[in-house]
Amino acid sequence: MPPRASSPGAPPVASASGGPGGAALRTAALAAFVVLAAALPQLPVPDFWITQANYIGLYALVAMGLVLLTGVCGLTSFGQAAFVGIGAYATAYLSTALGLSPWLNLAVGLALTCVCALVLGWITLRMSGHYLPLATIAWCLALNYTMANMEWLGKFDGILGVPPLSLAGIDFTRARNIYYPIWAAALVGAVALLNLLDSRPGRALRALNGGVTMAEAMGISTFRYKVQAFVIAALLASVSGWLFAHFQRTVNPSPFGIKWGIEYLIMAVIGGVGHVWGAFAGAAVVKLVEDQLQVLLPRLIGTAGNFEIIVFGIVLVLVLKYAPQGLWPFASSWLPAPRRVRDWEHAPPLAERARPAPGTPLLEVERVRKQFGGLVAVNDVSFSIRGGEIVGLIGPNGAGKSTTFNLVTGVLAKTGGSVRFRGEDITRLRSRHIARLGISRTFQHVKMIPAMTVLENVALGAYQRGGSGIARAMLRLDRAEERRLFREAERQLARIGMASQMHEPAGNLALGPQRLMEIARALCADPVLLLLDEPAAGLRHHEKQALAGVLRQLKAEGISLLLVEHDMDFVMNLTDRIVVMEFGTRLMEGTPAQVQASPAVRAAYLGTEH
Amino acid sequence: MDLSVAGILLLDGVANGAIYALLAVAIVLLFAVTRVIYIPQGEYVAFSALTLGLFQLGQVPGTVWFLLGLAALAALLDAAADLRARTPAAAAVRRALRTLAFPVAVSALAIWLAPHKPPMAVQALLTLALVTPFGPLVYRLAFRSLADASVLVLLIVSVGVHFALTGLGLFFFGAEGFRNPSFWDARFSIGALSLSGQVVIILAATAALIVMLWLFFERTLQGKALRATAVSRLGARLMGISSDAAGSLSFAMAAFIGALSGLLIGPTTTIFYDSGFLIGLKGFVAAVFAGLASYPAAMAGAMMVGVLESFSSFWASAFKEAIVFTFILPVLLWRSMHDPHPDEE
Amino acid sequence: MKTALKLLAAGMVASVALSARADITIGVVLSLTGPASGLGIPVNNGFKLWPDAIAGEKLKLVVLDDATDPSTGVKNTRRLVTEDKVDLILGSSTTPISVAMADVAAESGTLQIAISPPPLPPGKDTWTFRMAHSAGVIAHKMVEHMKKHGVKTVGFLGYTDAYGESWLKDFGAKAEPAGIKVAAVERFQRTDTSVTGQALKLVAANPDAILVVASGSGAAMPHRALIERGYKGRIYQTHAAASRDLMRVGGKDVEGGYVVSGPATVAEQLPDGNPSKKAALDYVQRYDKLFGAGMRNQFAAHTYDTLLVLQKIVPVALQKGKPGTKEFRAALRDAMEHFGPLAVSQGVLNYTATDHWGFTDDSAVVLKVVNGDWQVEQ
Repeated sequence: MPPRASSPGAPPVASASGGPGGAALRTAALAAFVVLAAALPQLPVPDFWITQANYIGLYALVAMGLVLLTGVCGLTSFGQAAFVGIGAYATAYLSTALGLSPWLNLAVGLALTCVCALVLGWITLRMSGHYLPLATIAWCLALNYTMANMEWLGKFDGILGVPPLSLAGIDFTRARNIYYPIWAAALVGAVALLNLLDSRPGRALRALNGGVTMAEAMGISTFRYKVQAFVIAALLASVSGWLFAHFQRTVNPSPFGIKWGIEYLIMAVIGGVGHVWGAFAGAAVVKLVEDQLQVLLPRLIGTAGNFEIIVFGIVLVLVLKYAPQGLWPFASSWLPAPRRVRDWEHAPPLAERARPAPGTPLLEVERVRKQFGGLVAVNDVSFSIRGGEIVGLIGPNGAGKSTTFNLVTGVLAKTGGSVRFRGEDITRLRSRHIARLGISRTFQHVKMIPAMTVLENVALGAYQRGGSGIARAMLRLDRAEERRLFREAERQLARIGMASQMHEPAGNLALGPQRLMEIARALCADPVLLLLDEPAAGLRHHEKQALAGVLRQLKAEGISLLLVEHDMDFVMNLTDRIVVMEFGTRLMEGTPAQVQASPAVRAAYLGTEH
Repeated sequence: MDLSVAGILLLDGVANGAIYALLAVAIVLLFAVTRVIYIPQGEYVAFSALTLGLFQLGQVPGTVWFLLGLAALAALLDAAADLRARTPAAAAVRRALRTLAFPVAVSALAIWLAPHKPPMAVQALLTLALVTPFGPLVYRLAFRSLADASVLVLLIVSVGVHFALTGLGLFFFGAEGFRNPSFWDARFSIGALSLSGQVVIILAATAALIVMLWLFFERTLQGKALRATAVSRLGARLMGISSDAAGSLSFAMAAFIGALSGLLIGPTTTIFYDSGFLIGLKGFVAAVFAGLASYPAAMAGAMMVGVLESFSSFWASAFKEAIVFTFILPVLLWRSMHDPHPDEE
Repeated sequence: MKTALKLLAAGMVASVALSARADITIGVVLSLTGPASGLGIPVNNGFKLWPDAIAGEKLKLVVLDDATDPSTGVKNTRRLVTEDKVDLILGSSTTPISVAMADVAAESGTLQIAISPPPLPPGKDTWTFRMAHSAGVIAHKMVEHMKKHGVKTVGFLGYTDAYGESWLKDFGAKAEPAGIKVAAVERFQRTDTSVTGQALKLVAANPDAILVVASGSGAAMPHRALIERGYKGRIYQTHAAASRDLMRVGGKDVEGGYVVSGPATVAEQLPDGNPSKKAALDYVQRYDKLFGAGMRNQFAAHTYDTLLVLQKIVPVALQKGKPGTKEFRAALRDAMEHFGPLAVSQGVLNYTATDHWGFTDDSAVVLKVVNGDWQVEQ
């Protein structure tokens, strides 16, 4: 099945290559870039280009927030310009009206932005799909019109005469000098984001893109992460606004309106909304092209006018049609792809849960019911699972097996009935709370992150066994814990027999191995009960046998399994008990032999015998 | 505020609301068939009003050149594709003719008739004929090859189209505004209120259009076929429904509705090349209120927006826009919680 | 080492070549798109009346669009100053943008002739001179007319932007000492679909006169709305509305309305003693010839006047330095303060060291819309 590359930001799945030498080359390239950036103002480059570079840095700060928000988490925002405005106006007003120090104003601006982002995020992030970007357009417009009508903010004239930054007597009115704070902020931001994306919270954020079901099943509080990503993007924009105010030294409402909100998104998309460096690429391309067009178009068309907007509209459409990943992937394809260095050999193992004794009651499903309007999908189904046993759940298509799974794991709300796990009532719990209690699952349609490697996908399963937050991740203080998580992930992969593919991008795998990877991921969560939804689908015969062997091994270790399967051989040879469903109702329950002999089951699958 | 003032404001709000309703209906229509959230819907309104305005002055409107340009571009791209696919010449020529025939014919007619200042009705028909083809052409140039893309991608593309159309609108129409004469100058008195003939026409046209659209989509096979393409493009194609034709037809319908709105709104206000965006956004607020699904709800939402705007402009005219756009947030929240829509793609 | 020397030599030659340019480069920043394009585009059209050279030096115009966005205006100005190395800057046609540009002009030591009336704190406008009447000069004439006709209360219906804002302030400042009260204030946007609410509120307050602050064709809708709501008092418009577009879009409804503006557009009706008559006649005849009868407007007249001013200061400055040098730019600025008084199409200009506004209080005229045309009120 070819990977669908039509959504912007889904990074291309390139094969891992280059080895440790590749990583060194990439680090060297980054170092060279930083050195060049630091040296630029000292070279005899005309002032004009330094000013351009300043604007590029400012835009990149906002665009990288969009990379995090839109590219990684899948939350499209047209309203980042409003946060730039908050940062800019905060410092402009406080410096001119109250004479406060710009550095203090930065703190005030960030605090104010944080509060606004929390409020707006709380409202907006509950929406999903296309309602989210519409909401961002709405509050961007509302904020902009409000700012533009406030007397004390100078209304449409804005605030003039904002003082420059002051530090150690350096003259920050010169473009060459303010260049340093701007690019320092941009590069620090970029590095922090890169660190974040390669960490436990980073994996959680990346799991948000395309739906929250899988992430919640891993124990991730998706709403909390969405808000955090939103706030980070807003803070980056706010810093950009603060620098902008002290660079341009006049602040008025127009740079913070919907047009700029859209332009920032355009920069991110053109540069490559899935890559942090894409923010720089996009900002640079848009700025430079805009400037050249400003001179070129009037000569071509014959009249002066802001016609660059036409070109941008067209370019945006073209980029989305023909290069939805943006421009950065073209540039980065010149560098060898990074390969993770295997440094977790000696990491201490993670703590494991106590397994229940075989035979003790583990899961009790009591008359669960699910109705969609008038359609009864699951009709008062009851069964139970004890410690150390493998139970199969079979039935013809449409019998309600996956729905039952979803009810047990808290993905769907129950219309009736109850579920108890290890004596505790979990009927009302959400899926992430249930996951934390020791129930793990796989999905009927594989839900994974194609751009991440197999190892990283599996490590996502160990999310709840780690504790690093976003701040620690950005500061790279989480390395010890990461090693432990990766060690566990590799261990589970080795169990399944996929350790050799751990550095492969998950999107490159065939369907069968992808399903096996899901099992490894579920095992990483250290479950006591594992729910597998059609684990053998897409596997060849000897792969199925190997899988059966692994599952028996799990049983021996005290993990209980609930399987939905269609492959009768697989089910009959593996399970201790089977529950049969038809039309949402439990038909019968018994040992494989009993089920095979039952005329009712045969009738359900093959039709009644005459 | 006394009752008569409230009445006037209400009437004003309802009249504006009717225009927003037309836009909302077009946006809902386009989303229902193509899943495109069409931000540039307001541009058709502006282009149509400006076209009529220029006809009134006896000039050939820039719309003509704009249309010819788009048609030529579409034909060129089709020809290039045909060349690559080595389609037989006859079929390629037929395809080019299909693209170019109507735009060229209508443009020629406009160029010939414009200096003669034909009667208002003729000018109005010509305007409709000039602006409606923009729909299928924009679909062909921007959206057709993205038919499988996610709603988000289509939204960003429609933003790009909006930029391009606005900029080109400035180029072809200039920066000054136009206000067209009323279609019906009569005035009716209902108690203390005074109703102009134009407002009557607006309300009647809006109501008629909504009823027709509802009937078309709910009761005819053709309409249901169009809706099917949005639900499952592949499934619809397997049933013999061409998704390209569905897209083209729905874009044409939306452009027609937009053009009609431009004719109706022209006399009540001055329209500039960039008036479309704000009008479109308000129509959009109403469409979202309707969950991008229901026509009667779109009408109700549009009326609410129009009345809210009217009363805000009385109470706090400087903050009118801020109020209207803040209003959309709780609506979006409510809608998002109500709609059972698939998160996963 | 050799390469370095070669580069150095090339650089020196280039810099010498650059500084020995014979062209006068004029940077122009105007609002050619965006809400204020109605003012910027006619200013741009006015350049078609300019000759190719002044005092023997070829003119090179670099025109950039600020899209009615002060940030873009500032960026453009910086670009003109650092990249194109202009000798002087014209712009912007929009007030808040001119304000933002003033800082850049001052920093770089470049003369800025603003085609709008930017209010700047004292000391900040050393390098900035206004070519357009200040709202105060226009308001002065307007208040005079109002007082003559017994107007005691005025309603305000203006754009929610810097233009509307500056008028509110300046008009209030002139009206108060004359005993005229601003009774009600309503705001609207150029792209609004209706101003019924605002009009209702104003008509209910029933002031003796209503001041509409809008520009070009955008000035027609509020005027019509007031008439539709049954307002019977006097309606005044500002100089930004002094163009044919008002009549074209406003139709019958703007009959009897007053527009206070510079004298340029009604050249034929000016009394012979009026100092601006000669320049105004020349302007309208040439402009109408190029663009069509009756197309004359306020804004292109400013461009025409700028030429007259340049024809005065360039010869003086050429004696102090060559185009492209710092001395030339400084000399241009100095000459601005010494050429006056000069009769131009829009009035009489006289800049001094302390007054960079230029136009005297008597420069405006009150026009009335009669039968779809302007008539000067005596």
